[in-house]
Amino acid sequence: MPSTPKRLHQRLQRVTVEESVPLWQGLTVILLSFLVGIILAVLAWNGVIGGAHGFLGGEHGPLRKMSGLGAALFFWIVGFIIVMPLASYLFATFSKGQRRKHWTETFQAYLFLTPAFFILLTFGILPVIYAFYISLHRWRVIPGPYVKFTNYVKILGHPTSLLIFVGGAILLIATWLLWDSYVVPAPGGSTKTKSVSGLGWRIGYWSLILAGLWIAVYGLLGMIHTGDDQVFNSFLHTIYYSIGTIPLQLAVSLILAYILFQGLKGQELFRMLFFMPYIAPSVATAAVFTTLFTPRPEGLVNRMITFFGIPAQKWLFEATPINVIIAKLLGFHLPVWLGGPSMAMVSIILYNTWVFFGYYTVIFLAGLGNIPEVLYEVAKLDGANQWVLFRRITVPLLSPTTFFLSMIGVIGTFKAFTHIYVMRVPSALGTVDTVSIVIFDQFFNATRYGYASAIAFVLFAVILFLTVLQNRVFGRKVFYG
Amino acid sequence: MTKTSTSSPRPRRLFRFNVTYPVMYLILFIGGVASLLPFLWMFSLSFMSVGEMMLRHVLPSHIDFSNYIEAWTNANFSLYFRNSIIMSLVTVAGQLVFSTLAAYAFARMKFFGKSVFFTLVLSTLMIPESVTLIPNFLTVRALGWIDKLPALTVPFMASAFNIFLLRQFFAQIPDELYDAALIDGAGHFLFLRTIVLPLSKAALLTVTIFTFLGSWNALQWPLIVTYKNTWRPIAVGLYSFISEAGPELQLMMAGAAIALVPVLIIYFFVQKQFTEGIATSGLKG
Repeated sequence: MPSTPKRLHQRLQRVTVEESVPLWQGLTVILLSFLVGIILAVLAWNGVIGGAHGFLGGEHGPLRKMSGLGAALFFWIVGFIIVMPLASYLFATFSKGQRRKHWTETFQAYLFLTPAFFILLTFGILPVIYAFYISLHRWRVIPGPYVKFTNYVKILGHPTSLLIFVGGAILLIATWLLWDSYVVPAPGGSTKTKSVSGLGWRIGYWSLILAGLWIAVYGLLGMIHTGDDQVFNSFLHTIYYSIGTIPLQLAVSLILAYILFQGLKGQELFRMLFFMPYIAPSVATAAVFTTLFTPRPEGLVNRMITFFGIPAQKWLFEATPINVIIAKLLGFHLPVWLGGPSMAMVSIILYNTWVFFGYYTVIFLAGLGNIPEVLYEVAKLDGANQWVLFRRITVPLLSPTTFFLSMIGVIGTFKAFTHIYVMRVPSALGTVDTVSIVIFDQFFNATRYGYASAIAFVLFAVILFLTVLQNRVFGRKVFYG
Repeated sequence: MTKTSTSSPRPRRLFRFNVTYPVMYLILFIGGVASLLPFLWMFSLSFMSVGEMMLRHVLPSHIDFSNYIEAWTNANFSLYFRNSIIMSLVTVAGQLVFSTLAAYAFARMKFFGKSVFFTLVLSTLMIPESVTLIPNFLTVRALGWIDKLPALTVPFMASAFNIFLLRQFFAQIPDELYDAALIDGAGHFLFLRTIVLPLSKAALLTVTIFTFLGSWNALQWPLIVTYKNTWRPIAVGLYSFISEAGPELQLMMAGAAIALVPVLIIYFFVQKQFTEGIATSGLKG
């Protein structure tokens, strides 16, 4: 049987040889699908396909509502996704030997990817382009005139202020990078300067930082003065929400995870209970919390706090800042600008903590499990007590988990929608309206599609900036084993 | 010598045991009560009559299902419930097929442009929902899907998160298995169906649960693509009920309980795999 070893050899070769299809053929396929997509897109843009008069359009055609950039992008995806496997199939049939096998595999892979790609491109990636296009128009339910950056100017205020703000921010970042490249942490842990430890350098750095800060704040104040108050307030509310939620959640769940990790009896039961709020539908639980946090003195939370001698509060219905309320309870007066988030926002922060502490606990528990037991034993031999173990081993070795969770927390709080939308009441006077809520309001209730898209892009930019900042500033303090 | 033996660390340990254990249990107990209490409050209110509600009782005098019956029949919750079940199951089915295929291609196939395409897929994770909401609504409206099932399901039938999760799992399956299957004459599809899928039950279960919960709990998107009750899922039904039925708290709580119960049932069956899936795969904020 001479043929069997030969075929076996061929097949195995296919597995081991790492070579793929030739570059020019691969690029041909991609470019071809790209071009066909573009042609379809241009046809759709000009109304040849779909729309009021085009192919499959007209009065009753299935594609009669497809017109404009949306249709063009959609048909571009369709063209791209159909041509890619087709062209690779052609290459597969007309190639020979090893190359044919590669093309067959590529063809199969493209077929496997087609449905997922269709969905991700249509509803995930190209909408970003479309949204930017919308944001440059006055667009109320139906497309309106092209207005350039008017929407952005209306949100962010005068362009000069924006430029000043960006300039100040760039100065700050540049100073920080400069500082960073000259000051390196020594292995011992204390910072040690490479060559520039003199007083002159320090004064230089600090004056640059102060100048950058001053310019940025000046620009920001100008933006706030000329921009959309509602949007800037919503960013402030979102920041309150993030700062109120994330440390609280991290602290609560770190304590609980640390206790659960001691291997007490019944820990699985507790883990199961802690996790329940996370999986429950947030509309349902938010509805329950609106009845818990009612302003009525008979509400459950009010009954609890009056039991401890604190007067009943209006909770979700209270627009007064929390610090002002606390100050009043303690018997002194506080100016409003020191007030912090409103009482309604604090109620939502408490709800958010209730929902997510179980999730955070489970992740922390996994992180605790990854810390090698040996380290604790060695430290115990050296006479470390429980607190030192926690402070010097657990906390630093958990830093990847903490970093991951705070990252998730920032993104999550900036995107939070459902529970805030359910729990907001008119008497909170909009003090709980975060950015996502304002975007949705502008889109759904005010039907200002262009304006809402522009706010969404501002939010996108802020989230991107925060993610990069978090990665650069805190990411390096993380200890990855 | 006897002096040193009496001062052995044992008594101190016992002492610490006595103090810290009850404190730890107390903290855990407070956490457990805190997470359970709102649910108990919800069920308690949902069994109350209007009179008990008005008199601000904490517990109902007897278990009375009349609120549930009223929410189920008069407030359309039977329809919403059916819609949500269908919507979630269709989404899960689509997700399992499409994400699995794509994840398999990324994990085990060699093709042109793989890394570029994978980066493209992962980049969708960064984009906030607020940005894509309006264009997606316009697309769905142009396709004529408003108030129809595809609008609620098709956009969620593939997700970068699930593709990534499954890819990581598929990539761990040893190459020797594929070589053996290849020698036996199997292609990629047969290998995927007969070997990869049975080996990846845990990952597929995680994907199923995440997708089901995401679909069941979603409010924002279903709210904008359903004008009529025909395909309104339970989250939207509950939301409109909340914003309309002001004082009828007991009905509202019954509706919330109806939305909650299927999720709780699923959770109790798979809670171990679920929490482990989250702990190992991390992610999903």
